[in-house]
Amino acid sequence: MSVLYEPVQWNRSKIFYDIVVLAMVAAYVLLFLKVAPNWSAGAQGTDYPIQRMRAFGTCAFLLLTVVLCIGPLARFDRRFLPLLYNRRHLGVITAAVAFTHAAFVIDWYFNFSPTDPYVGLLVSNTSYGQVIGFPFEAFGIFALFVLIILAATSHDFWLKFLSPPTWKALHMSIYVAYAAVVAHIALGYLQSGDNGPFVVVTVLSVAIVTLLHVAAASRDAREEAQQTGALQGIDAADWLEIGDPATIADGRAKIVMLDNGEKVAIFRHGSKLSALTNACAHQNGPLGEGRIVDGCVTCPWHGFQYRPEDGCAPAPFTEKVATYRLKLDGDRLYLNPAANPPGTHVEPVMSPLEGQGEAA
Amino acid sequence: MTRKDDDGFFVGYINAAPGSLSWFLPVIAIGLVALFAAVGFFTATGQKSAGSGAFLWGAGQQNLIGILEAEPYPILHASPNERFPNGRTLMLNGQGKRGVANEAAKLDGQLVEVSGILLKRGELDALQVGKMEAVTAPKEGAQNAPAVKDLGRWRIAGEICDGKCVAGAMRPGTGLAHKACANFCLLGGVPPVFVATDTVAGQDFMLLGNEEGGPLADDQYFDFVAQPVEVEGQLEQRGDLLIFKIDPTTTKPL
Repeated sequence: MSVLYEPVQWNRSKIFYDIVVLAMVAAYVLLFLKVAPNWSAGAQGTDYPIQRMRAFGTCAFLLLTVVLCIGPLARFDRRFLPLLYNRRHLGVITAAVAFTHAAFVIDWYFNFSPTDPYVGLLVSNTSYGQVIGFPFEAFGIFALFVLIILAATSHDFWLKFLSPPTWKALHMSIYVAYAAVVAHIALGYLQSGDNGPFVVVTVLSVAIVTLLHVAAASRDAREEAQQTGALQGIDAADWLEIGDPATIADGRAKIVMLDNGEKVAIFRHGSKLSALTNACAHQNGPLGEGRIVDGCVTCPWHGFQYRPEDGCAPAPFTEKVATYRLKLDGDRLYLNPAANPPGTHVEPVMSPLEGQGEAA
Repeated sequence: MTRKDDDGFFVGYINAAPGSLSWFLPVIAIGLVALFAAVGFFTATGQKSAGSGAFLWGAGQQNLIGILEAEPYPILHASPNERFPNGRTLMLNGQGKRGVANEAAKLDGQLVEVSGILLKRGELDALQVGKMEAVTAPKEGAQNAPAVKDLGRWRIAGEICDGKCVAGAMRPGTGLAHKACANFCLLGGVPPVFVATDTVAGQDFMLLGNEEGGPLADDQYFDFVAQPVEVEGQLEQRGDLLIFKIDPTTTKPL
C-alpha cells in the first residue's frame, strides 16, 4: 500500500523474491552457456551468439510459464500466495530477459548488412501465406511489445491512473502474449527440428498452464455454484439469508455471490460481523480469502487493508470499497444485497463466536 | 524469522513469514532455481550439431589467382597453389551480408587476384573477399577456366540457403529458424546454394542459377528459402562446383 508512488517499496519479501528470480535466470543462462557445451557436441558446435539468443529466448518462455502458473496454483494452495505478492517483478524481469533475446537476435541475424537491421527484421521474410517458413519473428515482436507495455504499466501509478478495471483488462493481454510466444517458438525453433528436449519443454509448459487454468476455472465455477445455492429465501425486504453466523471463523470471511454476479465477503472480527465487497480496490483481489490483521480486513494478494465497518483503508491510505448491511434474526444472518457507496459506515452486527452462544 | 501467531496468512510487507511457510517458501525457491538450471542444461545439450562449416581464420588471409566467372554468381577457378595443389573452384562472398556481384561483373572471365578469408564446409569452399583486382601481367601456373560439364536434368530435394552462412559463417546456417537471416544475406547479394538431401554427383551443395545461367530473381525463390523443397533444373559442373540452373516454377514444398 502506498500514497507516495515510490518506484519500488522494497521490503524483505520483495528482496528475497527478486534474488530468487535472478538466481533462476542466472542458473538457466550459466548452465546453458557455460556448462552444457562441455557435455554436448551440438552446443559446442553452435555459434556463441546463437547459443546466447537461444538461452535468453528459452529462459524468457520458461519465466512466462511460471508467471502464468502462479495464479491458478494460489487458487489451489494458499501457500503459493507469496509468489503472487511480487509477481510484477517477475513480469518485469521476464520482459528484460525477452528483450535481451531480441537484442541478441538483431545483433546477429540482422547485423552485418548495408540494410538497417530493423528494416531487415520486417522485410527479410514476408512469407505470411504459408505455415512452413512463416515469419515467426512477427509473433515474437508482438509478444515483446506486450511484455514491455505490461512491465512499463505494472506500477500502482498506472493502476490508479488507468483505473483497476482498465488496468486489469490490459494486463490480461499476458495470455495473448503467451499464445504469441508459443506460436513464435512453434513456427521457428521447433519447426526447424533442432532441439528435441525443448519440444518436450514447450509441450509440457503449455499443457501445465492450460490444465492449471482449466482446473482453477472449474473449481471457481463449483464454488460459485455452491455460494449461490447457499442463499435461500428472500424475505419481504429482499434480505438474503446467509445462514448461521457461528460458522464464520474469527478473523475470516464467508463469501456469497449475489444474483448480479457480485461477490460479498462477510467477515467476523470477534463478535462483530461486517460485510464488504469481495473485490479489493487495488487489483480486484479476493478480500474474502484474506483475514483480519490488526483489526483490518487484509487482502491475500498484496496486503491492502480496509476497516470492516466502513470499507476505508486506514490513514494515510485512501482506498475504499463498498459495504453491505447485515441483520441478525435469531441465529440466522441476513444480507441486504444493495451495495452501499464505497466507504459507507455500517454498524457491525453483534454475534457470539461459535461455542460461546450457549455460555453467554 | 517467522511469525507463529497466525495460520499461514502471508502479508508481504510484514518482514516475517508465517511459521507454516518457513519451510515451504525456501523449498519452492530452491526447487525453482534447480528447475531452471536443469531445463537450461538439457535445452542446451539438446541442440543439434551445426555441421562442420567454419571460417578458416587459422589459415590466415589467402591470396588466390584464377579465372573469375560472374554468373550466375561470382566464382573463382583458383590456380594451383600451396593450399590447393590441384586448383579449386570457390564461391565468392563479400564482407558481412554482402555479395561481390557488382565488382565481379567488371572482371568476368578475366584472370584476377583475390584475397580474403576461407570458409569451408565439406566439399564446399568459399572465400570472403577482401580485395579483388585484375591481373595485368601473366602469372606462372595460371590456368584457364575448366570446361563446363553438363550433368543432365535433375529433380532434387533439399533446402535453399545463402551460400555464406551454410559454408560456415553461421552455425547453424540452415533451417527455418535461420530463414530471415538467409533471406537477408540473399538480399545483400550472397549467392544462393542448394543443400541436397542426398549427394548428387558426389556433392551435397550446388550453386543456384536460373535456366539461362544468370542470377535468380528474388521473388522466384525467397518464399521457399530454408524449408524442405524439391526443384527441377539442369545440373552442370564447373571445376569443383556444381551449378544447378533451376526452373523456379517447378519448386514444390515438401
